[in-house]
Amino acid sequence: MEIPYTVKPRPDTGLYNAKVGIWLFLASEVILFGALFSAYILLRVGALDGVWPNIKNAWPHGLLNIPIGTFNTAVLITSSVTVVFAWAALKMNNFARFRICMVITIVCALGFLCIKSFEYNEKFTHYELRLKSGKAYTGHIEVNGKHPGFWDFGSIYNLARLETDKVEKVKFTADPPKAKPGEKHDESTPKHEVMEVATSDIAHLDAFIPRNHTFFAIYFLITALHGFHVLGGALVLAWFTFPGSKMWLTEPERFINRIEVGGLFWHFVDLVWIFLFPILYLL
Amino acid sequence: MANAKTTSHGTSADQAHDHHHYEPGFWSKYIFSTDHKVIGIQYGITALVFLLFGFILMLLMRQQLAKPNQPIPVIGPILEKVLGTDMVNSGVMQADLYNAFGAMHGTIMVFLAIVPLAFGAFGNFVTPLQIGAPDMAFPRLNMASYWFYFLGGVVMLSSFFIPGGAAKSGWTSYSPLASIADMAHWVDGQTLWLIGMVLLISSSLLGAVNFITTIIQLRARGMSWMRLPFFVWAQLVTGFLLLLAFPPLEAAGIMQLVDNLFGTSFFLPTGLVVNGSQLPVSGGGSPLLWQHLFWFLGHPEVYVLILPAMGIVCEIIANNTRKPIWGYRSLVYSVLCVGFLSFIVWAHHMYLTGMGTKISTFFQTTTMMISIPSVIILTALFISLWGGSIRMNTPMLFALAFLPMFGIGGLTGLPLGLNATDIYLHDSYYVIGHFHYVVAPGTIFGLFAGIYYWFPKATGRFMNETLGKIHFWGSLLFMNLVFAPMFIQGMKGMSRRMYDGGATYAGNASVLGLNTFISHAAIGLAVFQIPFIINFFMSIRSGKKISSDNPWEATTLEWSTPTPPPHGNFIKEPVVYRGPYEYSVPGAAKDFSPQDQQA
Amino acid sequence: MSLKMFHVVFVLCSLALTIGLSVWGFGNYQVSGRPVDLFYGIGSVISSVALVIYGWVFLKKLKHISFL
Repeated sequence: MEIPYTVKPRPDTGLYNAKVGIWLFLASEVILFGALFSAYILLRVGALDGVWPNIKNAWPHGLLNIPIGTFNTAVLITSSVTVVFAWAALKMNNFARFRICMVITIVCALGFLCIKSFEYNEKFTHYELRLKSGKAYTGHIEVNGKHPGFWDFGSIYNLARLETDKVEKVKFTADPPKAKPGEKHDESTPKHEVMEVATSDIAHLDAFIPRNHTFFAIYFLITALHGFHVLGGALVLAWFTFPGSKMWLTEPERFINRIEVGGLFWHFVDLVWIFLFPILYLL
Repeated sequence: MANAKTTSHGTSADQAHDHHHYEPGFWSKYIFSTDHKVIGIQYGITALVFLLFGFILMLLMRQQLAKPNQPIPVIGPILEKVLGTDMVNSGVMQADLYNAFGAMHGTIMVFLAIVPLAFGAFGNFVTPLQIGAPDMAFPRLNMASYWFYFLGGVVMLSSFFIPGGAAKSGWTSYSPLASIADMAHWVDGQTLWLIGMVLLISSSLLGAVNFITTIIQLRARGMSWMRLPFFVWAQLVTGFLLLLAFPPLEAAGIMQLVDNLFGTSFFLPTGLVVNGSQLPVSGGGSPLLWQHLFWFLGHPEVYVLILPAMGIVCEIIANNTRKPIWGYRSLVYSVLCVGFLSFIVWAHHMYLTGMGTKISTFFQTTTMMISIPSVIILTALFISLWGGSIRMNTPMLFALAFLPMFGIGGLTGLPLGLNATDIYLHDSYYVIGHFHYVVAPGTIFGLFAGIYYWFPKATGRFMNETLGKIHFWGSLLFMNLVFAPMFIQGMKGMSRRMYDGGATYAGNASVLGLNTFISHAAIGLAVFQIPFIINFFMSIRSGKKISSDNPWEATTLEWSTPTPPPHGNFIKEPVVYRGPYEYSVPGAAKDFSPQDQQA
Repeated sequence: MSLKMFHVVFVLCSLALTIGLSVWGFGNYQVSGRPVDLFYGIGSVISSVALVIYGWVFLKKLKHISFL
């Protein structure tokens, strides 16, 4: 006996095996991201007051780059549209158009990841500084004439690191007091305040990295997990588009099913982002 | 495993010869097989080894509890050589090792022994046969699921040998304890525990997707939902529990891993002081969050442990009473209710955390609700015995013992579900007694019953009845001698997780003597497992051969395959004409009417 | 649920997002008075309209594919 319904749908359920499988898998993925979203809510509700510079409520707010986030959302929505077009093209027996649409999807996925890594870099080089005098800033640092960068993890500084490296003072370029969305912009404040800070005056210094605050911890964790899903999805779709597309000649119906399953996963990954974007960036 | 598959052509060798198109080599046949039966047996053997290993850990802990801080005879010096003097000093088990054994005993028994045995082994071997399918829906995924499990087990075991030793924060790994238990090492036992868990969870997820798809899609012609054997229903619900309850633990595991390795504070509260100095972390995390995410898995997991065993017991009771199961439909609806309700009872493990009385009241109510369908299942199985002509063979003895043992386990759970009484009982030996009654003489008896029952299908030979009965009576007696005294200790207020056996607290004096008693009983229990091990291996080679493909005269589809079933299982596509338990149908020629027998 | 049905769901969710974004943009504009917020709101409204038109065309074009 061979395994039935691998290609043709089972009459009473109307589904082929892989479609049931992918939906079950997506159900568990919903719970996985749901658990992380609830973790986000619990951490945010439980956050204490007064631990973040220049921000009244306890939770860091408005630190993420909204224009870039919006653009990335558009990129992912586009990729979902093209993946459906690719599937529809196969249904209409148009392999060339399938391949074009698929390539656009994959390019969108990689573009998303590139933009995301740019955003990560922005955070990894951005610092929070609190002085013993009680003043607090966000901005960029320069240690021994060098800006710490993204690819060089060893050069992310915090107070303990400055002390062990015996760095006596750092140059700090503070951000201008930024208008939060929904607040009036005060034009009278100076653009950038540049100052020399002695290590002995610092109460707290750290980049916008996960260990700095639970907001960054949960932001990086969720977006990284989502990023791995994007990467995994893109790899699978790329395999379907190029080496795996030989199946189109031998078993076209099964190949269309595979594209549909891949497309379902891709839609799910994009849908997660549709929820992630407003919750992390805007709220 | 190899023996199990090769030595047993039995009576149906001629039929099996029809299936010659599949002749793989040794590796792809026994090691990297995609055949659900081979994978089931792989799961079974691996899980039984882990079961024994977890049991040995417990015997060593019982030795420490009975004779605190005295050298362990024979094994003590060996452990000292293997694990170092930090763990065992002049043959005496150190507190760290006791804690590590405690954590690993729990983890191994739950995630590496019982779930793989109940779901992986029996589910894999029996489910496709019972629904009349040629294999699982995704055979290669099935193989991947086994190897993820194997890898997870290897990672767990290897954690004993790294500096600092295995995880020692309990099988629940509560934060922040789990994050600070071993601060001297960057990668510690807890790290490997978390990596191992992520692998095991991936394995369970793949398995669950596969099982549910198989049951939905690959049922044979005529196998409508209400003709499914109850075991398949139990596996279906178990599959859904694994699919939907495990991801939160995966998320929590990743968060704790990041906490431990990269200094985040998901579960570390602000102002956490360790050894007199404040921990250099940002804080702002929530220890309660870990407990919620853990128990969101943890409670459905209890039903993952028990439901497959109920399924097995149901099959065996129907077969050996020679009459239909009483209230098949109520069993099915109850098991669905249990599955649904088990997702909303998790916080009854957390009454003591200060999460608030309103929340406690909600979870107390749902906990009382979930006991109703559980009792319906148990009652239906009890009533099924009424008026049957019962065959007292070994599988039936184990199945019968399951009923009262699970009953004791379930009933002693009620005081723990009520939050007023739980406050007194929660951290005591009472809890240990309670859940071991559910899992040890409950689930494990169910699984033993299943092994004795399906052994002839897998090998073509019966297991030895005499040895089986020795195994059964010895196990039944000593299981009770081990776990019943724990209720007394617990009600006296003896705290669990004490490596000196509770001697620290004066209030325990009157029940400390029971520690020695329990430890002796545990050794007795170990002795009575030897007949099983001998029986298992002897019967593969020299057990009594079966005289037909349906030696128990059962009705379900797995008995209409050749023995052992060939690749692809059925000679011709089975068609189902009747319900699963049509025994002693009035007017029928025989006292059983197989599901594929035409009306 | 087929890819077609899921795509419809996806477009509806995107639509909800763009409508939300426009509310967010205009809301900010009312407080801050900055043109950036106004453009954000207008852009979101345009995207919402585009999504509605796209969804309609999509349903028309793929009429022959089942929803299951």
